[in-house]
Amino acid sequence: MHDDRIMVLGAGPAGMAAAVKLAEAGQRVLVVDQSAAPGGAVHRAPLPGVTASGLPAHKRRWSALMARAARQVARIDIACDTRCSGVDATGAVLLTGGLTRLLRPRGVIVAPGARERVLPRPGWTLPGVVTAGAIQTGLKTSGQAPAGRILLAGSGPFLLAVGAELTALGTPPVAIIEAAQPLKPAALGLPISYWAEAVRYRLSLAAAGVKVLTGARLNTISPGLVANITTRHGKREFQADLIGLHDGVASNDTGLGAQSAIPIMRAGDGREVLGARAAMQDGTRAALAMLATLAGRPAPAEPTTLIRQRRAQARLAQLYAHDEIGALNSLPKDTILCRCEGRTLADLDALGRAPTARDLRLTGRFGMGACQGRFCAEWVAHFSNTQDLGRPRLPLRPIAIADLLAVPTTDIGD
Amino acid sequence: MTGTIFWQGKPVPFQPGESVASALNRAGIRAFGLFCGIGQCQGCLVAIEGRTFEACLMRCRDGVEIDTARVTDA
Amino acid sequence: MHTEFDVAVLGAGIVGAATAWHLAQQGARVIVLDATGPAAAASGASDGAVSVASKKPGVLARLATESLLYTRILAKNGPLAGQFHARSSWYFATNDVELEALDALRAKLLALDGPVRIGQDGGADLLAGVGASVRRLVEIRGEGHMTGYSAVRAYLDDHRIARRWPAAITDIDPDTTGVTLSLAGGDDLRVGRVVVALGVSTPLLFPEMPVRPVSGHLIITDRAQSGALAGALTAGAYLIAKTSSGTGPSERPVVIDPLMTGQMLIGSSRIPEADAARMDFTTILHLVRRAAAIWPALSERRVIRTFVGVRAAVQDGLPIVGPMDHRGRVVVATGFEGDGICLSSLIGREVAAMVLGIAPTPALDRELAALSPIRFIHTAREAAQ
Repeated sequence: MHDDRIMVLGAGPAGMAAAVKLAEAGQRVLVVDQSAAPGGAVHRAPLPGVTASGLPAHKRRWSALMARAARQVARIDIACDTRCSGVDATGAVLLTGGLTRLLRPRGVIVAPGARERVLPRPGWTLPGVVTAGAIQTGLKTSGQAPAGRILLAGSGPFLLAVGAELTALGTPPVAIIEAAQPLKPAALGLPISYWAEAVRYRLSLAAAGVKVLTGARLNTISPGLVANITTRHGKREFQADLIGLHDGVASNDTGLGAQSAIPIMRAGDGREVLGARAAMQDGTRAALAMLATLAGRPAPAEPTTLIRQRRAQARLAQLYAHDEIGALNSLPKDTILCRCEGRTLADLDALGRAPTARDLRLTGRFGMGACQGRFCAEWVAHFSNTQDLGRPRLPLRPIAIADLLAVPTTDIGD
Repeated sequence: MTGTIFWQGKPVPFQPGESVASALNRAGIRAFGLFCGIGQCQGCLVAIEGRTFEACLMRCRDGVEIDTARVTDA
Repeated sequence: MHTEFDVAVLGAGIVGAATAWHLAQQGARVIVLDATGPAAAASGASDGAVSVASKKPGVLARLATESLLYTRILAKNGPLAGQFHARSSWYFATNDVELEALDALRAKLLALDGPVRIGQDGGADLLAGVGASVRRLVEIRGEGHMTGYSAVRAYLDDHRIARRWPAAITDIDPDTTGVTLSLAGGDDLRVGRVVVALGVSTPLLFPEMPVRPVSGHLIITDRAQSGALAGALTAGAYLIAKTSSGTGPSERPVVIDPLMTGQMLIGSSRIPEADAARMDFTTILHLVRRAAAIWPALSERRVIRTFVGVRAAVQDGLPIVGPMDHRGRVVVATGFEGDGICLSSLIGREVAAMVLGIAPTPALDRELAALSPIRFIHTAREAAQ
């Protein structure tokens, strides 16, 4: 049960970079990931027979990293199709799926990547309304687009990326609805690589005749997936078969960071959203910090490259700033906030002016569903003026009792 | 193996290694609750042989029968 | 000195809430104070059993019997309307020790001769779906379930009760004409009398009271399609663990409880621990193993979340209820160790009476005297000599 390995959660660029750095320093490492293969989101592995999509420069960096990992095969174990339910206070990690164990590693580097923010909107729980990321995940793995007319809406450069990927497959979206107006003079301060990527996307979208409406907001989605948009020039409607929403990226930091008996460090977008380029560097940084901590030394300073990426992300955030709070505050009271439990803004108002976290959870049922507030906590906190819904509880995601029963008894002890 | 899954009795083809969510979504089936696509939102829960799984994390198996796992509130 | 309130109730858990309501019923000006908010500790993380069967024979079983009857009355036409749900439950035995515990349970309930009765008593075939290791099942009729947090809100949903939270008390200073409460942040509050219903926080103000936290791990599953289990299924080992002071069987007791939402609650450990917030997978795995052996249908469910509930336990296994001294301006009501929800309605009524100088229910004199805090104050004095 006690393991001499260091565990890495997430086999994306940050996790694999951390694993490789640790192995090259002589450590044994166990990398786990819920997907069928390493890659994370940006390097999501395609199904057999499908060509990997993605920018050539990114793919080169990833191939080089995986080559280094291959040379460390004796020290790096990779468990795919494996779900991690969290690290408990005693330092035990519960894994189920491809690898079903209760392990006690020497330390854990947590690199679960980014999650999407999605603003609540009337109709956002209708069938056929998904996240832009869900569409991208499907594209990257299957190499095929979903059937029907696709609308992308919200805010952020990710919408352009997904739109361009759909276009490259021959199924351009009917439109991209962007709330901000990012083409400002301040954009000139972004690194060249950001520009190159954005221009590529815009050109391919323009060539396919995709409408990109900026300063436009998707207000409501009516049954039958009719999207009601407010543009700078008036109202518009789009009929769609699939709507991909996206209102920005945040760290996937749900629950994995609480105190434990072993050192836990975060890396990559899961620690701070700095993008794919920075993820590998941050993984390396985390590995060095873990090595230092386990040896009782102070952690090395942050590499300057991360500081540059942070500045670039901050500038992007400025460019994409828009009146999100105004949008939230104009939501009708019957808008669902908590998708899991179907709780609305009206249900939240019924709790009074300053509900406690207990009120929100036990009376309001907010955050008491299967996703533990991942998609509603931010909005509930905004509307209720409270700190938050409270720490997510273990297991971090629902876990089948049949899987729990499959954990070896020798791991559980007595 | 390439094959067919059955959604509420209806045959749906899948590519080798594909998730249930991916196969259903490509076929234009939207009623199973797909949202985030990466197992975070718990919206795409389906029932397979009496057990509940996220469709977006579950790989297709030839011949398997799938239904929605949504239980109405008491 | 003018008092702003006749009584301040410290602690907005189920005992504090019930007491506050009863004080308001008697016309007292009452305020409830809590460091966090309603049901912030034990009451908000409980399994909600209103159970006589699970109580130690003697004082607690008799008080629980009376409290169950009174709870039903308050639920019929009172503040607990819609909060209490009557239902049967089952106790099971998988070994000889537990079989003996079920025999003792029978004897206890027969002796009490109250509203809680044994229904069916036989083998595993009494309950379809129960696991192969179950040798005997005893059905208990007459008990019920009440969600702690919801009952607290129900009691406090009363405009006569003033409230203040978050408000932590740093000092209690009684004198001949009243009590001065010092609040964190510098305020003072002058009241006539004080009820201390602080549960696990009791030692913060009364270090001489031997109240310590005992944590219990609880597991919540997703909703089941159909509810084959109509009431809680409790291990006989749970009866032994509760009725002895520390020496229990090697089996961990387990409770499988169908909630109103259709979800299942699985509990619970008993871990004496100062830091009651620590969740660990080993305990969860043990509980799930035991629960799935008893109710195999659980293998089709998923665990949605777990949490650690805390109970305020007292060294001699009895709650502490009564005036702290002969003046009687400070009355304590704490240390219910998981029995708070069941005993709250009766304790609320009796403590309100104590505080206001009204005669308590005569039939309960002996039982309430056994709970008096004087038993610890004398001990502390002796120890100091």
